[in-house]
Amino acid sequence: MIPLRLKSECDRTLAPFVTRIAEEEPRCAEDATLWSEEAGTLGYQTGQIKFRLSDVAPAEVAGDVLLVDPRRQIAHRLIRAASPHNTFLITEQCDQLCLMCSQPPKPQHQDMFDHFLAASRLAPTGAQIGLSGGEPLLHKDALFAFIDAVFATRDDLCFHILTNGQYFERADLAWLRKHRARLLWGVPIYSDNPATHDEIVGKPGAFAQLSPNLALLGLAGAALELRTVVLRQNAPGLSSLADFIARHLPFAATWAIMQMERIGYGRMNWGRCFFDSSIDFASLGAAIDLMRARRQDVTLYNFPLCTVPPAYRDLAARSISDWKQKYLPACATCSLRDDCAGFFEWYREEDGFMEIRPQ
Amino acid sequence: MQIWPLRFRDLDDQRTILADDSGAYFLAESGFVDRYARDAITPPEERFLREKGHAFEWAGDLAHTGFLTRWSRRQHVGGGSAYVILIPTLRCNLKCSYCQVSRAPLAAQGFDWDSETLQKVLGFLDGLPVEEIQIEFQGGEPFLRLDLLQAVAAFARRRFQRVRFVVCSNLQTLDEDILAFLDSEDVLISTSLDGPHQIHTRNRTADSALTKNFLSNLERVIGLIGPARVSALPTIDMDDPPDPEDLIAAYEAFGFTSLYLRPVNYQGFARKSHPAARTSTAWNAYYRGFIDTLIARNALTGRVMEEFYLAHCLRRILAPGLDGHTDLRNPNIPTGANAVIDFDGQIYPSDEARMLARIRRVNLAIGNVSDGLDQEKLALLAPGHINNFDPDCIHCPYQPFCGTDPIDDLSRSGRIDVPRQDSWFCQRHLAVFDLAMELIYSKDPAVEFTLSRWFGLETLPDALRPIAP
Repeated sequence: MIPLRLKSECDRTLAPFVTRIAEEEPRCAEDATLWSEEAGTLGYQTGQIKFRLSDVAPAEVAGDVLLVDPRRQIAHRLIRAASPHNTFLITEQCDQLCLMCSQPPKPQHQDMFDHFLAASRLAPTGAQIGLSGGEPLLHKDALFAFIDAVFATRDDLCFHILTNGQYFERADLAWLRKHRARLLWGVPIYSDNPATHDEIVGKPGAFAQLSPNLALLGLAGAALELRTVVLRQNAPGLSSLADFIARHLPFAATWAIMQMERIGYGRMNWGRCFFDSSIDFASLGAAIDLMRARRQDVTLYNFPLCTVPPAYRDLAARSISDWKQKYLPACATCSLRDDCAGFFEWYREEDGFMEIRPQ
Repeated sequence: MQIWPLRFRDLDDQRTILADDSGAYFLAESGFVDRYARDAITPPEERFLREKGHAFEWAGDLAHTGFLTRWSRRQHVGGGSAYVILIPTLRCNLKCSYCQVSRAPLAAQGFDWDSETLQKVLGFLDGLPVEEIQIEFQGGEPFLRLDLLQAVAAFARRRFQRVRFVVCSNLQTLDEDILAFLDSEDVLISTSLDGPHQIHTRNRTADSALTKNFLSNLERVIGLIGPARVSALPTIDMDDPPDPEDLIAAYEAFGFTSLYLRPVNYQGFARKSHPAARTSTAWNAYYRGFIDTLIARNALTGRVMEEFYLAHCLRRILAPGLDGHTDLRNPNIPTGANAVIDFDGQIYPSDEARMLARIRRVNLAIGNVSDGLDQEKLALLAPGHINNFDPDCIHCPYQPFCGTDPIDDLSRSGRIDVPRQDSWFCQRHLAVFDLAMELIYSKDPAVEFTLSRWFGLETLPDALRPIAP
């Protein structure tokens, strides 16, 4: 696993600060330059502040944007320059309790927007940054203000925002339209049957709220990525959901069908939720066939290639973020490995896919 | 609940096809229309209409917004790319009985672009507001003036970011220069193969030795540039059409997996030598029989041959956005980016329009390369190229998938306002869409096999054939 947090020595009395590891000469006041390199420890300086990073090579962190927390002696790698998978965790609060949640919610909220704004301004040119949670739109006003502030100086950036879609209002239309080219909204929909969707997200009435809010995104011309984690609870209804999407959500730019991640509630509920698509792809295949006939885009996330019948493999993306992705020992001989999403770090063979077959 | 207006058409005695303006269709037993008209549909029917997006509760709800999106995507909005047909020469080395362009003899004078016309054509192309273009060379036989093709290609490759050339050639003669021209990935060949040897000879070459030349040239070209860059279509003479099995076999022999059955166009020489081409009954019957044969054959052999036009119409029923084929898009407003430039520099809105001008029926030129486009004429032609408001089309469930062809109406009837059902275009397309709907709703495994392969699917989803409860 690629570490997202580094041990960092720094004057404990300092307030947390955002800095960028300069790749060559510093380009702005926030850039930090290397001034010492000892066994296992790198010394950096930004302005008058000095800090150390442990167990990392200079090339690994070059260009990274760090949030240094002196009190806890940690540096958070907010933006890894070499990675396409950078996400800001906006909040850990959430109003839904999804059966397969990989990041279970916590009651308290820590406002990090100032740090995220500083980090965004230091991001590589043209970067796409994920905004996730919890439910980011629980802090909608602050979130929208943050996005406005970023775009005021960095209109080359774009954000991929994961939201449960519960908090849009008609009054947001103008704002959504204004930023439609730079925001991609990832919104989950688990079933076209309201009761099934509500059961999966653990919130009565969630579907009834989601439905008009998705219409708002459509009216705004927003870029919409529908996301459906396939579970035992909703797999039989995937064809019906596909028909619903083709008829009621034709404005969605893509539909991502995703495999489960065995962490958080996903680990707790793995036994009753994991749908083994390696031995039964029929419901997925039928849903994909319908989307193909209707000429709507589908993507498969988190599906190892050997679990997908050959006719659908071109849809399987290398979706698992680099820092939590792995391959199995069996994958060593597989000819498709370089194109394969692989597995989550926390995947277990004993209760995972039945059919893993190196190609 | 408000129901979007539904159009309907009986498929047979028991079943009716209904569709809304967005092209969402379903099948119902014939009593449904009666209940719909009397505002007396049953609760299960109401639920069906809501689920399938034929109804909404309030403007701006998800069903309403989804419908607006689907409707808007049914409308063809051009602009991104151009499709221009060029006629560098009207001369031809063949004299096909059905020649729709009234080609000029090989030795005739004054039927080729001169160097001034060439320069003006290039100037016209240069002025198109696009970065992507497909240029189709028609004739006559374009390879008689390979030099002009080379000049256009060299210019277009410099001027446009993306470019493709289609040479519509009879492939009657090949030489090293022609083969060198073909040896570029952006050059495609479209040719005519009318079926078995004797039929091709009768329709096109009038000489068995010439047919032999053509067949060996076709084989050579396919060998050189591969089957993916070569397409062929048979023109069907309804006085003596080929046996469908023989026709399919002739295409399979060359490795083609698609053919495009084309009726004799009621234009040019065909108006005199093929009077039967004026009406549609015989064509529709032959076409249906051909498709039956094709489907049965596909199921039997496990190989899949496609009839392009039916497959295209089927795909247009299933989904919006399939507007690549110029014959069937709506609206299809004439512009300079979808124009034909004739051998004399006249610009026409379509290939058929230049054919009508050629027989002096009516001059539909929309300008010429010297003076540019005639905006008044373009404005005059535009309203005829949209079917949404046609007094007949508005009652037709197939309107969202269909198009218009006012030029063909002019050719056959001398006017564009004939009742649709009396026009060849409408009769032909009603027959094609009726057939397409029958196939979509067929449970015959042979039909399902062919359709799923044409659509690139593993299985045919039931959601493609909704039936009212």
